[in-house]
Amino acid sequence: MIFTGLGPHGEHAMPADKIGLSQADAEKARASRFTIAVVLHSTTSDWSRQELAGIVAALGSHSAAVIEVIDCEFDKVTQARELHRLANERLDAVISIPVGNADMAEAHRAVSRAGKTLILLDNAPVGLLCGVDYAGVVSADNFGLGVIGAELLSPYIPEEGVAGILTYGVDFFATNEREIAFRKWMGLHRPDVTLVRDKFPTLGEAGSACNRLLAENDDLNGLFVAWDVPAIDAVAAMRACGRDLPITTVDLGNAVALELTEGGLIKGIAAQRPYDLGAAAGIATLLALVGQQLPPWIALPGFGVTMRNVVEAYQVVWHAPAPASLLRARKLE
Amino acid sequence: MTNGRKSRPAAATPEKASRRPIGRPKAIDVAQASLAQLLQLIRNGRATTRLDLERKSDLTRAIVTDRLATLQTLGLIEEGELGEAIGGRAPRHFRFRADAGAVLVAILDRSSIAVGVADLTGQMLGEHHEAADLSLGPDALLDRLTTLFLWLMGEHGGKNRIWGVGLAIPGPAETGDGEPISVLALGNLSEWRDYDFVSEIALRFGAPVFVRSSVQMMTMGELKSDAGAANMLFVKLGRSISAGIVSDGRLHRGANEAAGMIGHAATGENSQVSCHCGSRGCLEAVAGGDAMARDGMAAAQQERSPYLVDILARNLEITAADVGHGAQVGDAFCAELMARSGRLVGESLAPLVNLLNPAVIVLGGTAVQSGDILLAAVREGIYRQSHPLVTRDLRIVRSRLGASSGLLGAAHVVAEELFAADTLQNWITLGAPRKQPELLALINVARTRRRVAPSLPLPREPPS
Repeated sequence: MIFTGLGPHGEHAMPADKIGLSQADAEKARASRFTIAVVLHSTTSDWSRQELAGIVAALGSHSAAVIEVIDCEFDKVTQARELHRLANERLDAVISIPVGNADMAEAHRAVSRAGKTLILLDNAPVGLLCGVDYAGVVSADNFGLGVIGAELLSPYIPEEGVAGILTYGVDFFATNEREIAFRKWMGLHRPDVTLVRDKFPTLGEAGSACNRLLAENDDLNGLFVAWDVPAIDAVAAMRACGRDLPITTVDLGNAVALELTEGGLIKGIAAQRPYDLGAAAGIATLLALVGQQLPPWIALPGFGVTMRNVVEAYQVVWHAPAPASLLRARKLE
Repeated sequence: MTNGRKSRPAAATPEKASRRPIGRPKAIDVAQASLAQLLQLIRNGRATTRLDLERKSDLTRAIVTDRLATLQTLGLIEEGELGEAIGGRAPRHFRFRADAGAVLVAILDRSSIAVGVADLTGQMLGEHHEAADLSLGPDALLDRLTTLFLWLMGEHGGKNRIWGVGLAIPGPAETGDGEPISVLALGNLSEWRDYDFVSEIALRFGAPVFVRSSVQMMTMGELKSDAGAANMLFVKLGRSISAGIVSDGRLHRGANEAAGMIGHAATGENSQVSCHCGSRGCLEAVAGGDAMARDGMAAAQQERSPYLVDILARNLEITAADVGHGAQVGDAFCAELMARSGRLVGESLAPLVNLLNPAVIVLGGTAVQSGDILLAAVREGIYRQSHPLVTRDLRIVRSRLGASSGLLGAAHVVAEELFAADTLQNWITLGAPRKQPELLALINVARTRRRVAPSLPLPREPPS
């Protein structure tokens, strides 16, 4: 378990599997019957569902109730409005994934100023202070995920080739870290490769951003996409224009897992463990609620997934057997 | 470039002085002075309406009107909201355009670099931290820094918006007349000697560079935060241990930029480990990050710490952060090591507390981020050996900014330098400090001895 990145404010990662409640803390938590709201950028992605499942399981096992789950649909206005509303609700803590950076600081600060415990997922907006505005950040090692994405794509890029980066057009720590790491690895290990980039400001524009990148770079040899949902849109965009470039991405969602297993355009995935991250976020929330100081950055490293290990990886990520479609594709069924 | 003692590029000063006319000032000089005066009033919020500006500046209405129009044309101010009417039309407020330019900041540490971008008020807009190996030499580090700066500016408006660069280095920013600023802490690495790192950055970004030690930048960051106080100490507990001293709201930097090197205070510990200064028993050598990592590694190898045994098996190394994490999750060895380090730091700080009587001590650095054990031990060491009068109202707190304090401090240092009265008059009629003839001349000089710059990271990317 090696972390290659640092936290939002330069913190060293505390391994997520090393935090836990003492017996006394667990008893205190159970007696308190805490209530928590979860604010997510989206509730429809596989990553979100797994993260939420981990949060709910960890909290539930300590008599804490998730009383509300909010889907911001990647919208900053929605998230700000919901956070201000939650600040005035009767609850003990909010677990939130900020959908922006500095521009989302004030809305999150409203939660902690109202006396609620705030745990952040993935990102601490610039301007928020650990121990004052939030209790801690729980995330994957996003820098490490970008490194894995580059390592997996590199074999598909010929000497003096061109690699594309398709990333989120919003100032977002997690995707920024992945891009910076991807570039750094390529610069160190494949200085012969030319990097080009396009951004999609909303998820619905990922396909058109991919088309733009393809049109402007007819010598493109491969693509790294910031996460799995836009990666599938990129696959569709490429197929629609008759291109079949190798793609690597982040997060082992069902669609990219199947594309990988069937030998499609997805050639490698830097997998997070969202269920385990969610469980760590739940435990971190309880620790903060019973008065323990949290490490400022609690993290889990990612790992590389290729066609060779996709079934096993699926089991690790999803805490469930791989679906029949994956098993059939691997001829394990 | 400057370590902050001079607010203008040093090479330009004699030439400018020789061209200054004798006798009555020229009209443009007067305009520079009044433009600078009005901009400062608006920027500091001391006067933001025409009437208030006239009163505070003692300038006539016609001149104020003319200068405000000029400042608007230069893009330095803009009209704001209407104020409260007092027996007539509601006055229009003017406000400083913090987004007229941007400030790039960086912290070079022995094992990491951090970069950030801020607006012209010092407000951070974005930052990134990553591991780095300074032993790879200045060329590699400069290239990495350039890549990260270019990436940041790509995300925040483009290279031409950069008005200044703030750089924090791991040690005093010492310089002699006409000599490049040396990265003293890296002076034992031959590649760093005589490398004009700072001029190279100025050349690549076409903007003035302001250099301080990391601890000075972190102190400035804390001073500007809620934790700040007019009389305060900031103590950085990392691989090195040093202090930033603020007295009556001003950073005390010392005759050689080296004030606060408390890491070399003798502890009385019977240590066999030599400090890099050559002595034994220095605080840094027995309680710094390297010492913690060394003692933690020994404990892991001897299986005296279950937490560190596991971390060593995973990572094949032990860091001071690991020891801190171990203490936080209840590992007895780690907790004892943190407590010992904290006590030694506290005892070394006590004489400084007696001497300076600060209102607040802010503890920062990697080791401080992990729980209350170290903080409690520092408090114990200070209280035990300080006079009750100087500790009666003393607050000893952990930094809430973490490593970001250095970036925030650097942003404020650059903003203060750019808008210092004499600097401001130099560039105000040009609209931005990067257009100063003096700076351009200095950059041309630096270009003559430039090294090969790295290629841009996004050569084929369309402009954002």
